[in-house]
Amino acid sequence: MARTLRGSFLWRNRVLLTGGAMLLLAINIFFTGNRPGARAEKPSFGLLWALRPFQNSAAEFASDSHGFFHDYLDLVNVRQQNDELKREVAELEAEHTRLVELEVENRHLANLLELREALAMSAVAARVIGVDPVSISHTLIISGGGDSGLRRDDAVISTDGVVGKLIAVGPDSSRVLLIDDHNSGLDAFDQRSRARGIVSGELDAGMKMKYVDRTEDVRPGDAIVTSGMDGNFPGGLLIGTIAQVSQEGPGLFLNVTVRPAVDFRELEQVLVLTQKPAPAAGPS
Amino acid sequence: MRLFALFSLATVVALALETTLPRWLPLGPLMPDLVLVLAIDLGLRHQQATAALMAFGMGYAADSFSGAHLGIEAFVLTLAFLIAYALSRYLISSSAAIGVLVVVIGEFMIGVGQYAASSGWNSAGGFVAMLPAIGWRALTSALVAPSIFAVMEGAARMIGLRQHAVRE
Repeated sequence: MARTLRGSFLWRNRVLLTGGAMLLLAINIFFTGNRPGARAEKPSFGLLWALRPFQNSAAEFASDSHGFFHDYLDLVNVRQQNDELKREVAELEAEHTRLVELEVENRHLANLLELREALAMSAVAARVIGVDPVSISHTLIISGGGDSGLRRDDAVISTDGVVGKLIAVGPDSSRVLLIDDHNSGLDAFDQRSRARGIVSGELDAGMKMKYVDRTEDVRPGDAIVTSGMDGNFPGGLLIGTIAQVSQEGPGLFLNVTVRPAVDFRELEQVLVLTQKPAPAAGPS
Repeated sequence: MRLFALFSLATVVALALETTLPRWLPLGPLMPDLVLVLAIDLGLRHQQATAALMAFGMGYAADSFSGAHLGIEAFVLTLAFLIAYALSRYLISSSAAIGVLVVVIGEFMIGVGQYAASSGWNSAGGFVAMLPAIGWRALTSALVAPSIFAVMEGAARMIGLRQHAVRE
């Protein structure tokens, strides 16, 4: 019986047949596993969880070595800096008095701004603990997850501007699709001229604002901000600035290159907005 | 069981390195695809049905940390495993040169998969823009592949793992 089985077609080709079945399973996962809440997505959360301790330790190590490197540079330059610092202390003392006045003014302005932006949004701070191993796709792994109240599609921002949105949320770590990834698309407008378009990443590591009508007034240096129309990001968050505007051929749209406001490689802390913004009315 | 333990540990280490090393060093596309090399090593030296399952599992694990589409790495790593398996069977060899060749092919397959998944293959121009990054990654992966094959061979021997290689 065993000899018959070993001589059979199925047994002789078991590796190829198993591999073939796995290929079909991978295709199935590709078409069904990318929907929110799909069953095929769930084991990946376990993997995110399993690797988190390694990534946390590595992130801490990277942070420490970064500090060490800077300390060393400081030592090298310390003599030169000493003279400069003495001069700067005198200047700073004079400036301090002026800044106290400005701070009072700033506090008043901040209070006014808070009052105006009545839509206070709840947010969770998270640490960047890993990056995408494939350089053509731009994602990050952050330390917060479902246990902290994060959900798929939550907006991720930093103090510099928009970072991206969550595409996978594990129990205590999540993956962020960066705005400069070629799969990303974000409704945005030019802060000065209110020209609207879709900001998305390019395969050759750049960022473009697509579908900007050729009659629109967009210029290099203009700030590009979120429109708030996509339901994930509140309006008015800085995405980047226009680096270049060109017009190729007789097309309907301008070719607008955007420089991201956030340096994704240096990013260490992010803020995840756990509350969806109120629907925006769009640029006016 | 020992095969599963060895390659699970190697995959965890490879993924931990791949996701954290670029934060210390600005490697960009020069970061080698260690998990792909491991899957090809399975195809060259561990020719069993369970190894095919493991290659798929390793691909799925890589998918969990990379790209926006689940399933691409799982597909490519299983396919790379099968190519390595078929080549080593028909060439009656499990030499590192075959592995290096499959690493390069596999890296380009991942690039094609990523591009097709995200753009639906709208224009060849977009893919051409990706080629330098894919090429560099293929090159560095191919360069480190023989060392990884040697390390895995030594580790397999150390834990007394019988290697189901071809009729050499």
